[in-house]
Amino acid sequence: MSAGTDGRILDLSTLDVSSARLFDELPCWVSIQDRNFRIIKSSTKMIADFGDHRGEQCYTAFKNRTEPCSECVVTRTFEDGKEHSSQETRFDKRGMPHDVLVKTKPLRNGTGEIVAVMKLFVEISAEVELANRLHDSVVRFRNLFDNAPCFISVQDRNFRITDSNRRFDESFGDGMGEHCYELYKKRQDRCPRCPVAETLLDGEVHTSEEIVVDNQGRQIHVLVYTAPLRNAAGEITSVMEMSADVTELRTLQNELASLGKLVGGLAHDTKNVLEGLRGGIYIVNLGFKNNNRRDIDTGWEMVQRNVARLSSMIMDMLYCAKKRSPRQVEVSLPAALKEVAGLFAGKAKQFHIELELKAEEPVEILGEPKEIHGLISNLIANAIEACNADQDEQKTHRIVAKVFRHETEAVIEIEDDGPGMDAATRNALFKDMVSTKGGTGTGLGLVMSQKVAVEHGGTIMVRSEPGKGSVFTVRLPIRPPSAALT
Amino acid sequence: MGSDGKKVLVVDDEADVCVYLSRLFEENGFRATCAGNGDEALQAVEKERPDLITLDLSMPQTSGVRFYQTLKSRPDLAGIPVVMVTGVTGQGGSRDTERFYSTRRQVPPPDGFVAKPVDPEEMLQLARKLTGQHQETAK
Repeated sequence: MSAGTDGRILDLSTLDVSSARLFDELPCWVSIQDRNFRIIKSSTKMIADFGDHRGEQCYTAFKNRTEPCSECVVTRTFEDGKEHSSQETRFDKRGMPHDVLVKTKPLRNGTGEIVAVMKLFVEISAEVELANRLHDSVVRFRNLFDNAPCFISVQDRNFRITDSNRRFDESFGDGMGEHCYELYKKRQDRCPRCPVAETLLDGEVHTSEEIVVDNQGRQIHVLVYTAPLRNAAGEITSVMEMSADVTELRTLQNELASLGKLVGGLAHDTKNVLEGLRGGIYIVNLGFKNNNRRDIDTGWEMVQRNVARLSSMIMDMLYCAKKRSPRQVEVSLPAALKEVAGLFAGKAKQFHIELELKAEEPVEILGEPKEIHGLISNLIANAIEACNADQDEQKTHRIVAKVFRHETEAVIEIEDDGPGMDAATRNALFKDMVSTKGGTGTGLGLVMSQKVAVEHGGTIMVRSEPGKGSVFTVRLPIRPPSAALT
Repeated sequence: MGSDGKKVLVVDDEADVCVYLSRLFEENGFRATCAGNGDEALQAVEKERPDLITLDLSMPQTSGVRFYQTLKSRPDLAGIPVVMVTGVTGQGGSRDTERFYSTRRQVPPPDGFVAKPVDPEEMLQLARKLTGQHQETAK
């Protein structure tokens, strides 16, 4: 007895419910097979959709095979008497494919022996289609994730990396499970300001600009964006961090800023030179007007000095603006250092600065002698100016100029015990125009020195701290023994 | 140099600018002294008590900005008129000028600005106005 939809009690005995009739009318695909895989019965729907294959072997009827399939759920059910299932594609009588879930059930006779197996086919084409689409989406998402032109990582609430894209792995290593700050910043603890932490806190997108260090130890400027990742309940479980490499942009910006400062510095110095020229002309005119020889001499000296300064500035600017390959002439660095130091001996003495030379070892390089002389001159002139600018008037100053070999390099080192420099001045040293106002320099000395060192295949660096003086070190490749002279 | 002329202190680390401006002032009836940096300038102000200071903003050691702040913080010296002489005109440009503008809320503005290269007539007119020195006393 069963309740019908209208609430009346239904008497099943009034229906024709013989098992054969019920089987035939099942609104799904069902068939019964014997031990020889022969189809002995099919539901009406099965016959209607797949054709009447009763009496045929299932592998012949549906798979066009001459022998049973290697993996067969019917065989397994006959063997163990249990229900089994598999997934396969069946083609209906019109040739349309159907993804089906096949389920088997043993049919026993009165003695319990399995005499047949019933196969039920459930259409799962829509589910398979969805699964395929899902798989395609996952693959596409992974491709996008991996090929995105930025570093992407996913971090959990403990700042541990739970996923990362290919670009991230290539630059920072597969850091699954590691803390982001260890990988990105090589730090032992969290960064003071962390956009991931902010996103975990408020669920908003946050940005920051950071300097990170890759596997090779290179510093990379990155623009960081963070976004929350939520679970089905809407809770933030992790944060996606996307970092775009803006190193080249920042380098370009810094270079432009340096260029701007350089131009500003040059304009400022040019105005000073013009002021000197105007002053000189004014005093010469005064001398003529008052018939004062002293004014004429003073004014004329000012004119000459400022014309020379302008000329020197223009030559320096031209030198800095042009890229060139230095000649390959043998240059003895101890000889060059002694010669330049000799030129500065008078000036050092005038300011009570002791100028000590340490250049006994023979060190030779290939290069342009004039430029090497210029480089050493700039460094010694700077050292003298630095000592002279020291406000500690009681202090007696000393400059040590050295040339020596270190492995395959020739080293020129100019050390002063002047006032030293802070980090900001030190960092701007080779980029910006460092004005030597009041002196005869053009402010381009260190920019030029760096250019000479680089064009000779070398480097220039400075160590300096406020109150502790400065050491400028130039490293140049030593002349190869077999190098031909030009 | 007139013994009764007003005293001008020229503060500039460019020696040629010092020579030029001091000759300009002396030739026009002022008395002039020079200082090459902020420290020297402060010593000279205390010693000479000038009637006018021309000040370059960008100088090594004690900069013009720092000297100006010190000067204006001293009640006995704050009244001395100051003309800023700078290679950079307008806002922006040199770090010293920017710094000066940023500290302007803390110190009274200078009494005048003159851009380099200095126009002699402009400088003299301003100096006469600020010191009350009459043109008639000029040579």
